[in-house]
Amino acid sequence: MISICLNILILLLAPFLMIGVIKKTKAFWAGRKGVSIFQPFWDFIRLMKKGAVISETTSWVFRYTPVIGLAVVIFAALFVPLATGKAIINIPFAFVLFSYVLGLGKFLSLLSALDTGSSFEGMGASREACFSTIVEPAFFITLASIAALSQNYSFESLKMILQNAGGYGYIIIALAVVTLFIMLLIECCRVPVDDPTTHLELTMIHEVMILDNSGIDLGLITWSAGIKMLIFGALIANLLIPAAWAWWAAVLAFLAILFILSIIIGTVESSMARFRMTHVYEFIFIMSITALLILALVTYRVYGG
Amino acid sequence: MGIYFFSIGMLLLGAILSIFVKEDWKLKVCTICSLLSAGLMLIPAINVMNTGVPFGIILHTSPILGNIDIVIDALSAFFLIVISIMSSLGLIYANGYMKPYLNKGMNISSHCFFLMMLILSMIMVVTVQNALFFLIVWEIMSLSSFFLVIFEGEKKEVLSAGIKYLVYMHISMIFILGAFILLNSYTGSLRFLDYLSYMQHGGAHANLIFALAFIGFGIKAGFVPFHNWLPDAHPAAPSHVSGIMSGVMIKTGIYGILRFLVFWGTPSKVVAYAVLAIAVVSALYGVLYAITQHDIKRLLAYHSIENIGIIGIGIGVGMLGLAYGNVFAAVFGFTGGILHILNHSIFKELLFFAAGSTYLKTHTRNIELLGGLIKKMPYTALLFIIGSIAICGIPPFNGFISEFLIYAGMIKGIPASSINLFIVLIMAIAALAMVGTMAMLCFTKAAGIMFLGNPRGVNLDNVTEVSGSMIFPMTVLAFLTFFIGMYSQYFISYASVPASMFTGGGDAFGTLMYLNEFTGDISCCFMVFLAIIVVLLVARYFLGLGKKLDKHVTWGCGYDRANNHMQYTATSYANLFVSTLKPLFKRVSHIKKPKDLFPQEAYYEQNIEDIEEAYIVKPLVMLDEKFLAKFERIQNGNIQQYILFGLVFLILAIIGMVYFGG
Repeated sequence: MISICLNILILLLAPFLMIGVIKKTKAFWAGRKGVSIFQPFWDFIRLMKKGAVISETTSWVFRYTPVIGLAVVIFAALFVPLATGKAIINIPFAFVLFSYVLGLGKFLSLLSALDTGSSFEGMGASREACFSTIVEPAFFITLASIAALSQNYSFESLKMILQNAGGYGYIIIALAVVTLFIMLLIECCRVPVDDPTTHLELTMIHEVMILDNSGIDLGLITWSAGIKMLIFGALIANLLIPAAWAWWAAVLAFLAILFILSIIIGTVESSMARFRMTHVYEFIFIMSITALLILALVTYRVYGG
Repeated sequence: MGIYFFSIGMLLLGAILSIFVKEDWKLKVCTICSLLSAGLMLIPAINVMNTGVPFGIILHTSPILGNIDIVIDALSAFFLIVISIMSSLGLIYANGYMKPYLNKGMNISSHCFFLMMLILSMIMVVTVQNALFFLIVWEIMSLSSFFLVIFEGEKKEVLSAGIKYLVYMHISMIFILGAFILLNSYTGSLRFLDYLSYMQHGGAHANLIFALAFIGFGIKAGFVPFHNWLPDAHPAAPSHVSGIMSGVMIKTGIYGILRFLVFWGTPSKVVAYAVLAIAVVSALYGVLYAITQHDIKRLLAYHSIENIGIIGIGIGVGMLGLAYGNVFAAVFGFTGGILHILNHSIFKELLFFAAGSTYLKTHTRNIELLGGLIKKMPYTALLFIIGSIAICGIPPFNGFISEFLIYAGMIKGIPASSINLFIVLIMAIAALAMVGTMAMLCFTKAAGIMFLGNPRGVNLDNVTEVSGSMIFPMTVLAFLTFFIGMYSQYFISYASVPASMFTGGGDAFGTLMYLNEFTGDISCCFMVFLAIIVVLLVARYFLGLGKKLDKHVTWGCGYDRANNHMQYTATSYANLFVSTLKPLFKRVSHIKKPKDLFPQEAYYEQNIEDIEEAYIVKPLVMLDEKFLAKFERIQNGNIQQYILFGLVFLILAIIGMVYFGG
């Protein structure tokens, strides 16, 4: 019970803190003082109090997408082991359900972008849909290989790599962290795939899809994006925290990893610019390559050595 | 069994009555008859599904046909349920859809007659267990669907699509015939029962027989590279016919493959790998080409190929499970594949009906010209979006459940012994994931461009929502997609009954228990999901109370004279993806550049051709034509010479008989 409450608390609050830490890091590298790390939360509260302007072109799809999008990420988060190392809902083959549920959110957000009839938003939607066709197979190869390694089919298999793969486990973990980190950058629209703070709509992916959202809806969308970041952060944390640790140590390690991850994301954003759109593909293919390397290592471990 | 014949009788009665009643009443009579027939047919079918015990009857007919076994086993029963429900929903829809065509001098009588014959022959195909009679009803099915396709035969492209379909069906017939001839020559029997004992007891040439059957039935089902008739025939046919053909009729191809698999028992590894490979290629190929299509019905036809591929992946995984003795893969693969047959028939019919409704109102199938239909046709739009979400395999709708089972079969089916199987399965998983995301790209394109945004070309002023008789079947189908998604347990346990014909009892039973348990968990999860959505929607409603909500034009990034032609189009939406995979498509462009000082006419048109058609089918046809041109000399239109040819043939035949028969 305590574990569930803790998980839900983290689920609801950690996204804002992660965004806050990223902003603080970026401010640090830019030599500014920056806003408080709680600022994203206050921004969210402020958006909740605001009215909205919506486009005449839009229909119910546009109006309900932000809410359902939030429901989708919250539901998807229930399958991921958060702080205490246990998922709230633990079913076998959870990663399939997990990515297809996130697919619902993506489907609706693409439709909502097309609903406005804006060419910019259509462009963003096109890019988002296109990139995910490469991201998902890589994610599935990674997770299915890791599941085959430990013969455990839930997300708990992420913690079991070391037990089952011995020395190779470290390499597999390293590759998996890289894969999931790239996936985080793509799915949560961070530099170098997408720049959430750019001023030029032509170069955006996800941010351009929500140009017409305002007020409460915009608040919900930022919150969902934060939760998505937390989810992928949690997957990475699961790879790194050994299963044997006591729960309090695991919780502390989990929070520490999220914190460090946010700093890394902030540092990446400060140190490099967005890729040109044609190079984004090449970046995403790195993920496919690491996924295939994981498959190769697992194959060698299970059948070769 | 009496109920079965009574039900068939109802269909015949409908077919005959529809010829004699007034034009306005023809479809109504057919609908009533098919509804009654479907209701009756469900009784024995559900009975067999519940008990799992097959029952049948032997008809003693003339010496030529021999004794005809008519058997309803679990596999037949499953298909009977799909055929009955989906066809009668299609007929209800036809009432609304055909209204503008009535009393225009079109041949409604033959349309109704062949519609009923199609349903009847499909029912016979899945129940008859006598090779010769099976081929007869199979041919009736192909012919009646051909006449349905060429309903608007005065249009040239419709007729040529119909003829293409007819040719493909007869190539399919040759292969099926080949498989049955081989079986018949080894067993000397026409009964399926004898084939079963022959193939299961290590019959020689089992691989060959199955391969022939797979190609023959694969043409009907639309596996790549035998798929080419589908994208032409579906747009040509009226929408309810496309719905029934794509939703139900092509599944009889799958039925044939499954029936031969029942004969075989344990397939060989080579064939199992081949089936999986063809299925994966079909799934990827179908969705890839669907993305490039802008004719909504062509797009849906390509998605049929994709979904047949997904069904094939399920069957392939099941076959691999059987070949390697992996119970889990076998049970999950077959159950997932068979459930996907039902699921696909539901959402594909829904999508075809919704596409048909928009065609009826806007008179165009080109999605580039549409847009903003959601404001004129709100129900159709909602139903199309539900269908789109379901076909992409997104929860909580039905497509997810079957794909999830197939995934589970693949992930847990990985054996400790075979490195080949391990890599093949992981790659198949990746392919299925890719198919899912590409389907998402395709259907956000279709739904987004057709229904959302502003009108892109067609004037929508006079467009209204379609009539209730068209909304009703679509609503039923949409409800079914949701219901099967939410309460998957019951449907999975139904689908596992025919699946157990392949996997047998014993070990499989434990797996089934596991299956049951964990699908129950999924239903619970979806309940939680719905609860979260409802809570958030309510919270959102109360948050929004009393807040100011202004309406304004879409934000044009500083530009405030945006017009409808500046919207993203289907081509531009798909372009990033299509241009990335350039080598896989053959682009045909027609350009007329503007010339002179005062350019008058200029256009640019680009089409994407099917590479299988462009590089395999067309060259083959050309070769064939070249070869046959040599015989033109014989065909000179002179009747006296033709009689001479006949005489020469007879003499040669007699000489041959004397010489060889001696």
